[in-house]
Amino acid sequence: MNKVEKRHINKLEEYLWEIPTSYKSNMRVPARVLASEVLLDDIIEDRSLDQLVNVATLPGIKVASLVMPDVHEGYGFPIGGVAATSYPDGAISPGGIGYDINCGVRLLTSELKIHQIKGKVEELIKEMYAQIPSGMGKGGQIVLSVKEIDEVLIKGAEWAIDHGYGIKEDLAYIESNGKLASAKPDLVSEMAKKRGANQLGTLGSGNHFVEVDYVEEIYDTEIAKAFGLFEGQVVIMIHTGSRGLGHQVATDYIRLMMTAMTKYEIKVPDKELACVPFNSEEGQNYFKAMCAAANYAWCNREIISWEARSVWKKIFGLEVGPSLLYDVAHNIAKIETYMIDGEEQKVIVHRKGATRAFGPGFEELPKNYRKVGQPVIIPGSMGTCSYVLVGTSRSYDVTFGSCCHGAGRRLSRRAAKRQVNAPVLKKQLREKGIFIEAGSFKGIAEEAPITYKDVNLVVDTVSDSGIAKKVAKLRPIAVVKG
Amino acid sequence: MKIQYLPHTADIRMKVEASTLQELFIAGTRGMNTILKKGFCNQFDESKKKARIEIQSSDYTCLLIDFLSEVLSFSYVDKSIYCKVCILKFSKYKIIAEVLGNPIDYFEEEIKAVTYHEADVQKRNDNQWETCIIFDI
Repeated sequence: MNKVEKRHINKLEEYLWEIPTSYKSNMRVPARVLASEVLLDDIIEDRSLDQLVNVATLPGIKVASLVMPDVHEGYGFPIGGVAATSYPDGAISPGGIGYDINCGVRLLTSELKIHQIKGKVEELIKEMYAQIPSGMGKGGQIVLSVKEIDEVLIKGAEWAIDHGYGIKEDLAYIESNGKLASAKPDLVSEMAKKRGANQLGTLGSGNHFVEVDYVEEIYDTEIAKAFGLFEGQVVIMIHTGSRGLGHQVATDYIRLMMTAMTKYEIKVPDKELACVPFNSEEGQNYFKAMCAAANYAWCNREIISWEARSVWKKIFGLEVGPSLLYDVAHNIAKIETYMIDGEEQKVIVHRKGATRAFGPGFEELPKNYRKVGQPVIIPGSMGTCSYVLVGTSRSYDVTFGSCCHGAGRRLSRRAAKRQVNAPVLKKQLREKGIFIEAGSFKGIAEEAPITYKDVNLVVDTVSDSGIAKKVAKLRPIAVVKG
Repeated sequence: MKIQYLPHTADIRMKVEASTLQELFIAGTRGMNTILKKGFCNQFDESKKKARIEIQSSDYTCLLIDFLSEVLSFSYVDKSIYCKVCILKFSKYKIIAEVLGNPIDYFEEEIKAVTYHEADVQKRNDNQWETCIIFDI
């Protein structure tokens, strides 16, 4: 099997690399990699770039298929990928969004400093573990009727607020205000709804987590102030998605598109790239179902925040819980407008393991962020550090307003289990001042810091390339691992 | 039948081999169930849960993936693992089966999806059937 090698890649500029269309005859646009050379050498090792080349063959794809420096091999699309297709007749591909629709991350900021919570961290994380359901296929406290689940799919985070599980002020601080208006619950299968009926307010497993961090370093005082961040401040990060409901929506529609593709005479080099024209009946149905699943995910993160805030208030005897800094999606498709070939064009931006990173002036942002740009939250791993960045106007020109979404996996879960002694790791992290609560040692091993790329290298790359700017560095002190 | 788990950066890559096409479906289910909870299916003589699965697809590769996806969906909705596969009807790109299993307290792994990526049902020269399957976890 042919594999992309370094000799196939041209350097366009510092941190931007390109595999030209001459590499493979079916490429409609070049494939671009945003990475430092050190990271690129690492990226070449797995099949990420071969998958990126396949994405470049999608009907209607514009400018280039792109990957961020945290990219790793996925199935069909690479994880850490961005693809924009022409609106309204370009392809929409569920694989370009992923099975965990609107998997995303949010950050809550408290008024407390690290020295004020020392001695209570263990109690805090144990209580969070007890109150926030996590682990494999676990259900939560809220069990929805069919009518209620339809309301969640329409209202998103608003549903949580209406039912006393959230704070109204949060909505302005959520991407798309926590609700995509195109959502149509009727286009979500009964099986998907059944899977989602008891999973609101649950983390799930894999790389999902709730993490307590403190702000270790501020890089940009003015922007940090706009975001309400200060040195020593304790913050809470939440990473999860649309749970079984989203997984089922993706499964249902990838299956449907597999058959529908023939009708539109579309051929793809990998079945997981199955796609149809956005403005076809199947394309519209998927998009509306995807929006519904995205709304479920925003509602889920709002309810988990409510659970975390309740624990916070109880442990520290406070009336008010932490505020929401921002909530951003990693796996989603959005209709956005960019300057392409000298004119404004609407495109369907697929982000799979990539974060929207819009710069200053973006209307949707709350007033206090509009001047500085959209917050971009980059989780590292449970033993290293995470970052808060801010989007820039350069991201519009280079990456369809997108940035990396994390450190990026480098080691398989199997290799992790072979190489990591989880009880020893848990003890070592404890000695470093990081408490871990997890359902199993297997889960700890799979998410060990060595399984991820160096988040500092990834963040420096996006920062030095100018598509986002560093605002603050966060250091973990406690983690509930899903 | 033979089930192997191979390296993959983030997910699970499984290779299944069987002497007949129908057996490949049973091997795939068995391999998937081992991911959900190793050894679970060896614990029971009787099955308390039952589901009927009817799938039609465009080829045998899609049929296998769609079948496993459906078994997985029932596993989550019914909070059970379906260990036994009784194939009632098997024709070109169509399967009707009854799956039997038992309730489970918790899954060891949460499989988000059975993907089509790298799946390719093939009959080898030695008449054995095989395919690779990637599970998104």
